[in-house]
Amino acid sequence: MFKHIITASGLLALGTASALAHVSLEGEEAAIGSTYKAVFRVPHGCEGEPTNVVRVRIPEGLIAVKPMPKPGWALEKVRGAYAATYEYHGSQVSEGVTEIVWSGGSLADDEYDEFVLRGYITPALKAGETLYFPVVQECPGGLAERWIEVPAEGQSADDLEMPAPGVAIIEATGGH
Amino acid sequence: MRSVKDGMASWIAALAMLLALAGEAAAHASLTAAEPRDGAVVAVAPGAFRLDFSEPVSPLVLRIVRPDGAAVDLGDFAVRDRSVEIEAPVELGDGTHVLAWRVVSSDGHPVGGSVVFSIGAPSAAPPPIADPVDRKVRTAVWLAKIGLYLGLFLGAGGAFALAWFVPVSRAGSRVVLALVGIGIAAAVVSPGLQGLDALGAPVGRFADPAVWRAGLATSFGLTVKLVLAALVAAALAALSRNAALSRAFATVGLAAGAYALTVSGHASAADPQWLTRPAVALHAAASAVWVGALVPLGLALRAGAPDAASGLMRFSTFIPVAVAGLIAAGIVLAVIQVETPAALVGTAYGCLLLAKLGCLAVLFAIAAVNRGRLTRPALAGDARALARSIGAETVVVLVILAIAAGWRFTPPPRALAIAAAQPASVHIHTLEAMADLSVTPGRTGPVSVSAMIMTGDFGPLDAKEVAFVFANPDAGIEPFRREAAKPGDGTWRADDVVLPLAGHWTVRLDILVTDFDIVRLTTEIEIRP
Repeated sequence: MFKHIITASGLLALGTASALAHVSLEGEEAAIGSTYKAVFRVPHGCEGEPTNVVRVRIPEGLIAVKPMPKPGWALEKVRGAYAATYEYHGSQVSEGVTEIVWSGGSLADDEYDEFVLRGYITPALKAGETLYFPVVQECPGGLAERWIEVPAEGQSADDLEMPAPGVAIIEATGGH
Repeated sequence: MRSVKDGMASWIAALAMLLALAGEAAAHASLTAAEPRDGAVVAVAPGAFRLDFSEPVSPLVLRIVRPDGAAVDLGDFAVRDRSVEIEAPVELGDGTHVLAWRVVSSDGHPVGGSVVFSIGAPSAAPPPIADPVDRKVRTAVWLAKIGLYLGLFLGAGGAFALAWFVPVSRAGSRVVLALVGIGIAAAVVSPGLQGLDALGAPVGRFADPAVWRAGLATSFGLTVKLVLAALVAAALAALSRNAALSRAFATVGLAAGAYALTVSGHASAADPQWLTRPAVALHAAASAVWVGALVPLGLALRAGAPDAASGLMRFSTFIPVAVAGLIAAGIVLAVIQVETPAALVGTAYGCLLLAKLGCLAVLFAIAAVNRGRLTRPALAGDARALARSIGAETVVVLVILAIAAGWRFTPPPRALAIAAAQPASVHIHTLEAMADLSVTPGRTGPVSVSAMIMTGDFGPLDAKEVAFVFANPDAGIEPFRREAAKPGDGTWRADDVVLPLAGHWTVRLDILVTDFDIVRLTTEIEIRP
């Protein structure tokens, strides 16, 4: 029993950074060579104002990105060139969605919502790395909450004021 | 069977606990409002403070840092929902106070910040405190400076007079050589003395090579080399029996000496330099021609040398030009340095200038008597009165040189004003970005903070937003943040900053490069009292 509590606490400690009222990701791991479903948990608006725009920058190495439409929110897919060329189902891919914008909705400061996209984890990403998704919540009146900080070497997400949500990259889970 | 059941039970218990804990987990708390407001100037001392947070918090540290830097912990507070209400200490005086807070919110992460507010008006900077003075070092520096002046004005100036005014008798050439020797000796020891003064080291470290390096590293190092060159040329002029060669050496010596004085010192450092440097050179050269002639002429007249009369004639013809230049250049420098008439009596520099002007009046009176009353009899053959008078003139000149050497220790009013307004600056360079940060003035009180921001490889960086975050951990002041604006000159600036205490401050620049990219640069900056 005690051992399990410790295990659970360990998980909690690991999960804390993403379990806060920062914007966080639901899944904790993404396997190389798999299609990863990213669920962004947005726990509030900005300083009393509702959030009406949520922007996610697609990190390099995640390709073939498709957002999930969301009732009440307009969806924009900003396309651009990737820094590298990736092989995807036998073809070379060098450009695609680099940013997703959900806008025109309303997420009050005392509400919670989720925003979903999926994409392919290319083998350019290495196991043990964390893939960070910078997220900006925009609110009326120019207010914004920016979850865009990526820990530098030797830093943890806890040291940051505005940590970007991230997911741990793990080895391919066989059979692909 | 039993073991599986037990295992499941403990897993469920653990999971429930995890969920319970995770349910409590929330964001870092942030300050949403404060009373008094951050940056406020209030008329009377508040009786209480209030801090509103984005979520319920437990205070860890609440303290007020007074204008004098004393920190008082505030133990009398009440937490109501998301607010912390704090009883203010009764005896808050005027000036800038910092309410520093550190709280823990339900996620368990302590966060801190500061609310800066002023009662009455922001703390003004206290008057600057003079450096402690090492009298032994100062006296030695002063004596060396007098020695340098003796060498340059009476020595090199004297060699000039030997070569141009009394080239036949060369009366007083030994005295001139001795004065040049004094100048050389002074020039040789002065880098060491200058180094002692620069490092604030005691006389005992005079032999320390580091002291000499420090002395030579200042602009004074170049002055010393030029002075030595000037004095060697002067010595050659005094020794040379060839009239043409002697005149050439003497002229070079005079010019080098005048130039030497323009490469260091208060007056040469003043703006506009195109005016001050030539003025210093002219003032020095004209003075040297005048006072340098006194010893050779006086001795030639006393000894009744054959070329005394012709030398006196040449001197009398030439000297009005030299004195006119001397006075014009002197007035220019005095106006630039003293700035306001009040500073003449209000500063040590001004007082020395007044003393020097007083001596100068005496000197001009003697010179006028010499010229009007005594020159004609001397030319007619009776030179004793003039020789005596020239002796008196020389004594006054020595006093003037001693006073001028005293300026070494008195920054002129211009420099005092500039020193007070001097910004504290620091350069930060990382791979991602670099910034030239300056706090103006670099002393306690209300300041303007500005930063010139570039990419790490010197390219332009057009940031979206910039903020300055100040903290002073030594004084117990938690970070407080000021957003910067773009005044349009390529910098980012925040004017509503009050730094209430002197010492080491940490400054962080938060540079929002794009909507998704932020660069934080952290540095330390020294704020003067």
